[in-house]
Amino acid sequence: MMAPVEASRGPCWYAVAGLAMRVIVDRLSKTYRDRSGQELAALEDVALTVEPEEFVAVLGPSGCGKSTLLGIMAGLLPATAGEVIFEGDRQDGQPLTATVFQEFALFPWRTVLGNVEFGLEELETPLEERKERVARFIAMTGLEGFEDKFPHQLSGGMRQRVGIARALAVDPAVLLMDEPFSALDAQTRTLMMEELLGIWERARTSIVYVTHNIQEAVYMADRVVVLSRRPGRVLDLVPIELKRPRHEGQMGEPAFVHAAERIWGLIKTQAQAALREGSA
Amino acid sequence: MATYLGSRRITAAFVAVCAAAALAGAAPAGAQQKVKIGALKLTSSAPLFIGVEKGFFKEFGIEPELVFFQAAAPIATALATGQVDVGATGVTAALYNIVLGGEQMWIVADKGREWPGYPLTGIVVQKELYDGGLRGIADLRSKRIGITTLGSTFHYHLGNVLEKAGLTLADVRVVPLQTMPAAIEALRGKQVDAILLPQPFPGMAESQGFGKILFWAGDLYPWQVATVFYSKKFAADRKRAVDFMKGYVKASRYYYDAVLVQKDGKPAPGPNYDEVVRITAKYTEARAEIIRLGFPFQDRNGRLLVTDIDRQMQWWTKNGFMKRTIPLKGIVDTSFVEEAAKAVPEK
Amino acid sequence: MSAPSRVAVQDRAAFLRRPEHRLLRVAALAGLLLLWEALTRVGWIPALFLPSPVGVLRELGEMVASGQLFVHVAASLRRLLLGFAAGAASGVAVGVATGFFSRADAVGQPLIAATFPIPKIALLPLLILWLGIGEPSKVAVIALGVFFPMAINTYAGVRQADPLLVRAAVAFGAGRWSVIRKVILPSALPMIFAGLKLGAGTALLLLVAAEMIAADSGIGFLVLHAGNIMDTTKLMVGIVVLSLLGLLSHWALARCERLAVPWRHT
Repeated sequence: MMAPVEASRGPCWYAVAGLAMRVIVDRLSKTYRDRSGQELAALEDVALTVEPEEFVAVLGPSGCGKSTLLGIMAGLLPATAGEVIFEGDRQDGQPLTATVFQEFALFPWRTVLGNVEFGLEELETPLEERKERVARFIAMTGLEGFEDKFPHQLSGGMRQRVGIARALAVDPAVLLMDEPFSALDAQTRTLMMEELLGIWERARTSIVYVTHNIQEAVYMADRVVVLSRRPGRVLDLVPIELKRPRHEGQMGEPAFVHAAERIWGLIKTQAQAALREGSA
Repeated sequence: MATYLGSRRITAAFVAVCAAAALAGAAPAGAQQKVKIGALKLTSSAPLFIGVEKGFFKEFGIEPELVFFQAAAPIATALATGQVDVGATGVTAALYNIVLGGEQMWIVADKGREWPGYPLTGIVVQKELYDGGLRGIADLRSKRIGITTLGSTFHYHLGNVLEKAGLTLADVRVVPLQTMPAAIEALRGKQVDAILLPQPFPGMAESQGFGKILFWAGDLYPWQVATVFYSKKFAADRKRAVDFMKGYVKASRYYYDAVLVQKDGKPAPGPNYDEVVRITAKYTEARAEIIRLGFPFQDRNGRLLVTDIDRQMQWWTKNGFMKRTIPLKGIVDTSFVEEAAKAVPEK
Repeated sequence: MSAPSRVAVQDRAAFLRRPEHRLLRVAALAGLLLLWEALTRVGWIPALFLPSPVGVLRELGEMVASGQLFVHVAASLRRLLLGFAAGAASGVAVGVATGFFSRADAVGQPLIAATFPIPKIALLPLLILWLGIGEPSKVAVIALGVFFPMAINTYAGVRQADPLLVRAAVAFGAGRWSVIRKVILPSALPMIFAGLKLGAGTALLLLVAAEMIAADSGIGFLVLHAGNIMDTTKLMVGIVVLSLLGLLSHWALARCERLAVPWRHT
């Protein structure tokens, strides 16, 4: 099924593409059990829905299980109870998710090109299409000219661009981002947030964006899912009433401030208790 | 400062003990002169064994100490480093190269020749190979031949008998096994097809069933295989060097008369034959029957085949083991044996 | 009581800096050689026990010119390369298997732990008994000596593969064999090269030992031969060639590592 292509989106990014999908997280629970039999409840009865093309932020104090949630959605962890359902139109062989990692997780022995290509290799995409896609997303993420460089030769911001390009290149139904800009310095982070929004405006997948930074969540997302301390439960779903495209000026607007205060109010006590107990 | 009770006494006692030891160590004039002799546990060392057992060295004021080795070449090295005073063993390329390298040593007397009719070194092949038809030197082509060290007397002998049969060392695989026990084990374990070793090893190999003596080396190619040699320092002490030689000459005559005399071309055991067999068996730890197979030949007075020394050096040089030959007068000194032979009375 | 002052900053850490002293290094080596040569000429060092550097060089030149050295070096290199390749390949395979598959680890670890401490030189007589005194026993002992550091280092390299990278690969659809080929092996490369360097040293040692026992060519044999006939100049040539071989192999491995593991060396 073809996605509607609008002139305002620039070149045809999605000439042949699947739509973004809806993600239904249904009463998801996760308990870790270590070798000695000790149990650790990470998530408890989490329920939320990510609409197609929606940008959802997941936020909570340390240890609230947000990375666990992402891991289960990516298929890297099994749930203890409940399930995650992907609903909607999907291209044959299109992966459900692709992940962007906090520590970049680039393969140091592969060049930028090689890294971006990785997922497509695993999908066994034909060589011609692979080359074209890789070139497209390298361009989209501003990596032109760096194709033959190795990760160790790049700055933090550039490396995460590679991570984003790699994830987008496989055309996932949902893009999962696990604190993607935490490892960057504040200035780079701000710039990268703007870039990501720009890329998302063009790519328009659903995004589940994990962060611990309230400003970041409110700035980027359509909705913010606030999780409690361990075991993570959904405390609230905060809609963000800010117009797109987002810009820095919006950070002083009442909608922004109210949303941020509301979220902080929810997790402040949680964060204080966590600090006291030292159970990060 | 507190004095340790009796510390003075302890010091005095210590000094006294040291003095006593020093005095005991100093040999009074006229006592025995110690000589260390490097040799191998072979039938061919019988004259040395006789000299030690029968007190012939003691007679001339020499206190002999036999130091045993596992191959001949290391004895030459031991002489150069002063570990032993006298070497009595095969002449190897090592010995010649040591002299070429600037460490003087002297070849002074005969200690064994490969001689027709007298077993010394045997060319021993695997029993199976012999039964399978390996009968001549020419049959050794492409075979693995075990020797002790490279440049040993066995290497020399092998090279020369191969040449006589129209082959060269390149036509066989020479396997250096470093020691005589290792060589015989290698034949037993079939790691090699043939070995060259001196008595009593060939006899042992045959009696234990895994080897067959193809030839006795002396029947194919006679030569001056073993000698007595002196270190530079030992030779410089003329009295001691000649005294040692006197004991050696007496032992050589005893040996010759007992075991080397021939009647009608066959060895005829002389007086003291059994005694010599017994003494040899004791030192070589071989059974008497194996010793009785035969004794190696040497000159009755221990005189050398001097020209053969030069012939050896020529061969080593031609085959690349030596850079050049040594003039005979720079390595051979027959004055000791001549002086001793004249001085020792015939009974 | 204070008074106005004006003081420039002094360099107080000057004594901590370590200059390279390139010239001194070269001069020291050259000086040693000159001293050695001089002592031999004067006669303080007997030439038989320690041949002069000039004499050694001359002998080396003669052996090169006559082609004799080439024969021995070629024989040694052939054994070295064969044994090294066999040991490295099997070592990497076993290291990957035990590192990645828990059952292989359970079987392999105790076996390796039990056999690794055996000095491989001690196995040489046994190998000769089983494989004869020809090439196979020599290549085998070298292979064994290389196998263990390779297996152990590869295992360590595989185990310390960044779990994050493995997760990332799986997140992008990689199955077991893809993970091994595309993540585990490349990330184990630095440890593999460390193992290769260790193995190279052991290989050279075992080569010389093997060639000293029943060989008729090779540098080890050359050293044995020269020792047997007390040609100490040739002996020194053998030792010099061996040390050159060691240096060469180390340099070659370092070069290969720089090419194969570019992300570790800038």
